[in-house]
Amino acid sequence: MKQNGGKAGKGDHAALADAFNKDEARVNWHDETLWWIRQKRDKAAHGVADWELLRETASRIKENVLSGLGGYLEQFEAAAAANGVTVHWAADAAEHNAIVLGLLRRHGVDKMVKSKSMLTEECHLNEFLQEQGIEVVDTDLGERVVQLAEEPPSHIVLPCIHKKKEEIGEIFHEHLGTPAGNADPQFLTHAARLHLREKFLTRRAALTGINFAVAETGEFVVCTNEGNADMGAHLADVHIACMGIEKIIPRREHLGVFLRLLTRSATGQPITTYSSHFKKPRPGKEMHIVLVDNGRSVHLGRKEFRNSLKCIRCAACFNTCPVYRRSGGHSYHTAVAGPIGSILAPNLDREKYADLPFASTLCGSCSNVCPVKIDIHDQLYKWRQVLVQSGHAPVAKKAAMKTMTWVLSNPSVYHTAGKAGRWFMLNAPFTVNNGMNPWYKQRDMPPVPKESFGEWYKKNKK
Amino acid sequence: MSSRENILKTVKGNQPEWRELPELKALGAAAGGVDLSGEALADGFVKVLEAIGGAAYVVSGYDRVGTILRELFPRVGRVVSGCPELGFGEAAGGYADPHELEDVGLAVLSAHFGVAENGACWITEDRMIERALPFIAQNLALVIRKKDVVANMHAAYEKIEAMGLGYGFATFIAGPSKTADIEQSLVLGAHGPKSMTVFLVDEEMSDAGFY
Ligand code: SF4
Repeated sequence: MKQNGGKAGKGDHAALADAFNKDEARVNWHDETLWWIRQKRDKAAHGVADWELLRETASRIKENVLSGLGGYLEQFEAAAAANGVTVHWAADAAEHNAIVLGLLRRHGVDKMVKSKSMLTEECHLNEFLQEQGIEVVDTDLGERVVQLAEEPPSHIVLPCIHKKKEEIGEIFHEHLGTPAGNADPQFLTHAARLHLREKFLTRRAALTGINFAVAETGEFVVCTNEGNADMGAHLADVHIACMGIEKIIPRREHLGVFLRLLTRSATGQPITTYSSHFKKPRPGKEMHIVLVDNGRSVHLGRKEFRNSLKCIRCAACFNTCPVYRRSGGHSYHTAVAGPIGSILAPNLDREKYADLPFASTLCGSCSNVCPVKIDIHDQLYKWRQVLVQSGHAPVAKKAAMKTMTWVLSNPSVYHTAGKAGRWFMLNAPFTVNNGMNPWYKQRDMPPVPKESFGEWYKKNKK
Repeated sequence: MSSRENILKTVKGNQPEWRELPELKALGAAAGGVDLSGEALADGFVKVLEAIGGAAYVVSGYDRVGTILRELFPRVGRVVSGCPELGFGEAAGGYADPHELEDVGLAVLSAHFGVAENGACWITEDRMIERALPFIAQNLALVIRKKDVVANMHAAYEKIEAMGLGYGFATFIAGPSKTADIEQSLVLGAHGPKSMTVFLVDEEMSDAGFY
């Protein structure tokens, strides 16, 4: 699978966003589609009278989790083991991948179905297994589309949100043999159903992600609309479930809080079609859980940033973000894009992801919609300061400049980001406070956008 | 040191000061736009389930369930039923392998209860015949008692706790399997059932109107 990426500066957010912005009609469509989902989220949230109390409660449960994570992990491990589930620990992506490979090898499996797991994207599991001669079929429809297109997902909940149906029709024509030119979603979905049913029925190993793991009972919950996690897991001899260590929740009753929030925040549905609780393997079959650290335990020690570990991956912050909506997921060149990805990625590799905390207008919309009340925009702002202080200043400066240029030349980003005063109030302090103020020096001013801010402002001021 | 020990050591060294868990008591006094008073729960459940692509019928008993299913699915092929009262469908159980269920046209199962705020039904594996069945069948029908509808997910987990059911697998199912991955066009029937019908049995209901 092709990877986005590269060092900031070459394939950085602003450059990749520019590439995405070449097709204006597509950008508008992408923007509107995501905004529509954001509106569905609003409607669903407003329908719940105690929504704010729910968010507050979820946030406090997650704070408790972070404060007692070590003990909860041990409790979970013991409970899962008592249920007949094997628990593995992986320090990093490489160890995670090796554990999965080892399990597949032990069972003589060279073909596996996989349901959505952003963690395995983070670990680049598919590429790794393919190199080892193991075929992985992604079974979430959107993930299958991007897999066939040899692209990474561009959104954690809606993996192929950047693709038009005509393109999907072409991909299916090429790979699944559907008639050329047929781009009817109903028809294409049905074709994928038949194609993937054959995979479900013939694969002996299934890998799934985990949305929530309950320390008290050792069970874990997987949420899907398509039913693909269940189709894979219940037909396979070996079920491997992978999770980041932060996915633990203390008690089963806490699922009530998170399941009320998750899908309403994600797509505006009251709940996913399936919220499956896996506790014990089927008789004679195997169930494995891989607990993955990959930087999380270190991140936990960063006082200013640890809150990002509360994330439940609903993607509400993506859908509401004016920058994400108009730059597309691939511009973030990391598995988890959007505002939350921009504060998680620098934790793993500051150099490579130094541009991401700048891919924001700091409008704060992300923090407003976040169901677990992560202070996302504050963390973006704090990351900028850290990156400058830790010697990533040239990258940071360049990224700041490019983002500024990009935002100013994209009035709709700027516009949805909030009112002018607010935008500058939020952005200016950084540039002034750090003694690294690119706006201050004439020679560093970004090239003037096609439609200047002033012109745009006049036109839009009503 | 093993990865396990390393991870736990780093986590414990880095985790912040203990924060107490919040109380859940105050939550769920109001469900998602659903009236919580007795009778209204079932109505709320039906309304939400229909909105998410499912179908619901309030019936007097299994006779009506059978009649309606025969009308809805006249040529559905293989029917597997976990409800002996239904009087049709193959005698389920004893499958050596869940793959034997791949051609099931309709599965009829008895679930534990419904949730008004989201149209979901809770079902544990002992009522699924095979874990794969509610997912692999082309169509799914679930039967619950009309009085077994709770307001919201908090009440749902209280009920699960109170029922004290041990399970190796259990799930909430809310509507047919679906996807909107292609340009956000909603399509029912992704990998699992293309339809989901819930029967709410009201034992006190009169059949008079039906015959
Ligand atoms: S940061 Fe919050 S809004 Fe964004 S994906 Fe995570 S939980 Fe959802």
